[in-house]
Amino acid sequence: MRERIEKALRKSDAEYTEIRIEAVTSSWANFSGEELDSIGSAKTVGGIVRALVKGGWGYATFNDLSALENRVKEACESARLVGKEESKFAEVEPVVDEITATMEKDFRQISLSDKRSVIEDYNKIILGYHDRIETSNVAYSDSFRKVWYGNSEGTYIEDERPNAGVSLSATAREGDNVQRGSESVAGSAGFQVIEGLQEKAEAAARRSVDLLSAPPVTGGKYTVIINPRLAGVFAHEAFGHLSESDFVYENERLKELMVLGKRFGSDILNIIDDGTIRGLRGTHKYDDEGVKTRKNYLIKGGILVGRLHSRETAAKMGEEPTGNARAISYQHQPIVRMTNTYIDRGDAAFEDTIRDVKLGLYAIDMVGGQTSMEMFTFSAAYGYMVRDGKIGELVRDVVLTGNVFETLMNIDMICDPVEWPPVGGGCGKGGQSPLPVALGGPHVRIQEVVVGGRQQ
Amino acid sequence: MIVNRLIEKAMEKAQGAQASLGQSESTDVSFENDRLKSAQSSQSTGMSIRIIVDGKLGSSHTTDIDDVDGVVARALEAAEFGSPVHFEFPGPQEGPDVRVYDDAVVPVTKGEMVRIGEEMMTLVKEYNPHILINARTGKSVSSIQFANSSGIAYSTETTNFAVGVGGQWIRGTDILLAGHGFGWKKREIDHVEVARRAIRLFTMAENIAPIKSGDMPVVFTPEGVKVLLLALILGFDGKNVFLGSSPLAGKLGEKIADETFALTDNPLLDYANGSGTYDGEGVPHQVTPLIEGGVVKNFLYDLDTAGRAGTKTTGNGIGCSPTNLVIKEGDTPFEEIVKSTEEGLLVHNVLGLGQGNPISGEFSVNVQLGYKIEKGDIVGRVKDVMLAGNTYDALKNIAVIGDKAEWAGGSLLTPPIQIARLSVVAK
Repeated sequence: MRERIEKALRKSDAEYTEIRIEAVTSSWANFSGEELDSIGSAKTVGGIVRALVKGGWGYATFNDLSALENRVKEACESARLVGKEESKFAEVEPVVDEITATMEKDFRQISLSDKRSVIEDYNKIILGYHDRIETSNVAYSDSFRKVWYGNSEGTYIEDERPNAGVSLSATAREGDNVQRGSESVAGSAGFQVIEGLQEKAEAAARRSVDLLSAPPVTGGKYTVIINPRLAGVFAHEAFGHLSESDFVYENERLKELMVLGKRFGSDILNIIDDGTIRGLRGTHKYDDEGVKTRKNYLIKGGILVGRLHSRETAAKMGEEPTGNARAISYQHQPIVRMTNTYIDRGDAAFEDTIRDVKLGLYAIDMVGGQTSMEMFTFSAAYGYMVRDGKIGELVRDVVLTGNVFETLMNIDMICDPVEWPPVGGGCGKGGQSPLPVALGGPHVRIQEVVVGGRQQ
Repeated sequence: MIVNRLIEKAMEKAQGAQASLGQSESTDVSFENDRLKSAQSSQSTGMSIRIIVDGKLGSSHTTDIDDVDGVVARALEAAEFGSPVHFEFPGPQEGPDVRVYDDAVVPVTKGEMVRIGEEMMTLVKEYNPHILINARTGKSVSSIQFANSSGIAYSTETTNFAVGVGGQWIRGTDILLAGHGFGWKKREIDHVEVARRAIRLFTMAENIAPIKSGDMPVVFTPEGVKVLLLALILGFDGKNVFLGSSPLAGKLGEKIADETFALTDNPLLDYANGSGTYDGEGVPHQVTPLIEGGVVKNFLYDLDTAGRAGTKTTGNGIGCSPTNLVIKEGDTPFEEIVKSTEEGLLVHNVLGLGQGNPISGEFSVNVQLGYKIEKGDIVGRVKDVMLAGNTYDALKNIAVIGDKAEWAGGSLLTPPIQIARLSVVAK
């Protein structure tokens, strides 16, 4: 493959050209209720050429590898049509490297029948948990992605990116009241990641039944304590996206708002994105521009100290590339993305966060989050009211909202330790979803959080 | 056709098979931060097969059209451990006439696409030079071959054209995002009108209007109606109905909404994104009323789910999803709805939709782009506001439906809808 890529790259007359080719083998099985819904496998091969001419980009994506040189020409033509300025692209040292994935249990060696039987067990646990369980959805999927990357500066990388995951979902029903409990697990370490999840299956079932009798949270402003699984999505939505430099690099007003050295939170707040942490879903040795990943402080002691870059955004802002240009597949160009994002540990104990709260909310586990840069939402799977320093009743439909310029300032307690729940799912941006990322953090307390819901 | 070879190969060992081959060429140009940023051409190929062996179903997919033997072998392997089937592949049937191909899309050049983007950008800039603009124009031409072991064999071609423009207006720490786009299977799109709609969203947001927490009437723009629709899309999915996770299970013939409310799945609208003669299983498309006069009329089914549920497919395969959804027009002009509102909210776009438990109907969302209505006027944009409610309660509580349906994207045609009271929590 190296020879083919290098030969095609020589056909380019652009200032910079890269080719990324991927071959993916994947398989899936899922149960809805008592029956297996779908089982199968897929093989896809495809690639993308990216060319830069006078600041303009041309892309060509394809499944047919036979005409690689023509695709290079196509991308160059597109780039020439677009480019009218001077290209800015940060220098990096070319590398040649080959990364082989090591899986404890290689899921490619495991039969579809064995994959099916693992989830069949989880499905039975959910369906048998309680009379009120109406149905289930248990889905297994895996993919083994081999990536060949080469660029016109001499970088050539072969990378292997395995991923296997299971999502476990239980639906409980009482009349019109329909509630769900979900758990998911995903990782790159091998098939064993998705084995032994009987307790998680039962937890999903238990939650769906428990939520039947839980009232929706009453809307209003609360002191909110978020658990580690929710703290990660908070860090990601509340701040992570705004630190992605493609939002900032050609935006003079946002540059003023996001100037390094500006205070966003109190001294106790540290937010970090680190693509090098072993075993996490956002971890790679190189990003999709062949730049080495690294640990990037975004907020240190409450102060904005860094941001995430591609080679282009780094050059345009006069900063260093950070290894954050990522693409979900060969059908997309790399854009600035997070890897593994977390709020670093503080020194509070969990009991301290509750003790002096008269009326508050303990929000647990994440369902998702979304941001429009300034405003953001993040949703908890469930929560408990906190009354007079004690954890009270279970509540459902817990969606929290915030504003990046206010909410981070309202964080007044951060606990220890940081946890990295191995959940599945991923992040969406610019039509590229889901990108595997990891979200981490400790228990965190935030004052004055707006919580949606009906009022009493 | 390649799909016939797939069927032949599969039937050496299988008792039933369906195969499809999709090929597509697309072109996109993209403007970011006030300038032309990139142009892209894409070629894609995908081949899928579903096989029945001993009453069990397996499937497989590949991007390599020469891999006929491989894709069949993998589907056979899957079928061995596969799911029990509840259907037979259908034979050939005459399908309805619907337009999905427009010759005028084919010759559009990248240069022309750049010009469309530039014109939209110029219009927004003329309105307000402080808005930092993004724009996009895209087209595609696709072909699908389909065949099954019961004698269906056909091929079809579709086109697609789409434009959009939006931007970001920052004042102090206030970041306003707004934009408008439209895409369908036809070249004919008035991009000047698309830009004007984007401008209107900015114009209405020039002021920031304070709002207090409380219950109030809420008007959803056609785009905003998606907030109410998500629960219905999940609720009318025949699989969710069969499994009992839809709150609508067992409610066929029951009144669940105000009698002015009617919702239809319509795959026969010329050039709409969800339109076509056949569904993904070779079943002719049909118009399916879902709600009429507030009463539940039908659910959406594919072959397998219909088989499990003991009913007939509605041509919504594979997956029981809607094609194009159409909400019936009411009789009140939008301007009058606003004029008659003493104090309320106009919702266009939200954050956090679908997080939580959408199938139950519950929604709790941040109003990303919404406006305050005071004494019959739209007075400005609201911020840091949460809107909460339940779709099924809201549908019983419809105050008024607008008299003009508009496309919100290329597969939802709806008028604005006002709900009498919903809960709003402000900062």
